[in-house]
Amino acid sequence: MAFPNTYEYTDVEIVNFDKAREMKPYLRTPRAMYVGAPGKHGYLKLGFELDADGRSILRDLDRRAPLIVQQELYFDEELPGMPCVYILSSGGPNVDGDRYRQIITLKKDSMAFVSTGAATKLAKMQDNYSGLLQSIELDEGAYLEYLPEPVIPCADTRFISDTCLRVHPTATVFYSEIYMGGRKYYGDGELFAFDILSVCSHGERPDGRQLFREKFIIDPKASHIRDIGVMHGFDIFANVLVMTPEANIAPIYDAVEPFYDRQQQLAAGITHLPNGSGLLFKVLGMETGPVKRVVREFCSKVRMQVKGRPLPPEFPWR
Amino acid sequence: MKLMHLLQMTDSTFPVGTFSFSNGLETASHIGIVHDADSLEQYTRSVARQGAFSDGVAALIAFRAAKNGDLKAVEEIDRGLMLFKMNDEARMMLQRMGKKLAELAVKLFPDDTLIAAWLDDIRSESTPGSYPVAQGLSFAASGLGEEELFASHQYGVINMVLSAALRCVRVSHYDTQLILQRLCAESQDLFDQAREMTFDDMNSFVPEMDIFASMHEKGNMRMFMN
Repeated sequence: MAFPNTYEYTDVEIVNFDKAREMKPYLRTPRAMYVGAPGKHGYLKLGFELDADGRSILRDLDRRAPLIVQQELYFDEELPGMPCVYILSSGGPNVDGDRYRQIITLKKDSMAFVSTGAATKLAKMQDNYSGLLQSIELDEGAYLEYLPEPVIPCADTRFISDTCLRVHPTATVFYSEIYMGGRKYYGDGELFAFDILSVCSHGERPDGRQLFREKFIIDPKASHIRDIGVMHGFDIFANVLVMTPEANIAPIYDAVEPFYDRQQQLAAGITHLPNGSGLLFKVLGMETGPVKRVVREFCSKVRMQVKGRPLPPEFPWR
Repeated sequence: MKLMHLLQMTDSTFPVGTFSFSNGLETASHIGIVHDADSLEQYTRSVARQGAFSDGVAALIAFRAAKNGDLKAVEEIDRGLMLFKMNDEARMMLQRMGKKLAELAVKLFPDDTLIAAWLDDIRSESTPGSYPVAQGLSFAASGLGEEELFASHQYGVINMVLSAALRCVRVSHYDTQLILQRLCAESQDLFDQAREMTFDDMNSFVPEMDIFASMHEKGNMRMFMN
């Protein structure tokens, strides 16, 4: 294997998950563009802070193809002072050997909404994998809603991510991810035909104190994905981490009722993260629409508790 | 007579076994998802797999640390494991059972200074005192091996779910024994994977079970401690 250790054309930190045990079968050098080739090693740094007038702005923006973020917009009618940003990828789907590095920071008392412009497609892979390393850092009193569109893993794809949430005890982050089982309506249906999704998220305080760690590995070809307790009959899974000051936890927890609706094939549950650091919310469903709706309803409750405002209705084209 | 030690530490009359830990089975049965032998087998397999790659791995790591007499490493995995526990009841249960086993272990293995030191640290709340770590330490003290530890751990997890099922799912003893036999046969593969895993590799993916447990945590109908 001849992976370059440094990339001559760029100064950004290299993303490498080759040591992860679960990725060992997927370390061949891609026959197409090599790992780290320009356009295959995306980098994005978003830095939000308050300006002199106390308004939240996107102060820092640094990016490398294929990741694109344009100017922040203020389109949230319930929180008109909140900068909203869509992350786009000019490369289309994640392909074999892609690496991504995303850094989002919110300085004291600033707020932001971050999403993606479209679903993240993970293309079929033959040799290697695609990986995403994320750092999200919130200072005192900061507030971030991270609500990307779903991830759609195609057959034989491989994806690994590591997300570090470094959050001050007075700040709130709403971090959501939605995973589809695959291209449900492609051909005769392509559900859970991917090789592996490995997703790790861990929370810590600014002083480095560890708060929680969640890692899930979905390898449908090697495990019993359709067993009761795992995905059973469901096709879509959403995972939401909320880190918020301790005083907010009980009111949010009390406002959420777990349910299992066999008619609508939709279910959701909530529990406490360790160390009084926040809440974990999970949703299972059959279509993205209802799952996204449940996630947004939950986000609205969090925002109501923290900012005293609900989420506005979703745009009809989303 | 090592086998008798293993039997003792795996037997359901072992004091810590008096806790029942139904992992949301009650909810799954109440809403009719787990309703017969086949659905119970699937559910139990999910619990066993999750147990293997989280608590099972932690027990093995603690066992190795104990063999090296490394209290620091024992407490590192003890604290590390608690970071994964996404449910108040699960955390409480794991610590309560762990402390109980540690208290018993200092009596069973009075010469083992490591367990005594660990129990002191549990009492002073400088380490959480989780059950899988207590299991790892006890097995290391008893002279049993990694495979026996893992087998005992998996047997405990599977048997716990099946015993609870006899009280809330329409299944017979024949059904549960057959399920136990089949899932025990699958444990070798889980062990082959778990023995290779480090803290970084510990993982769990049982979203439907998490939702059952959440409904149970918030609900008011409960026969067992979750």
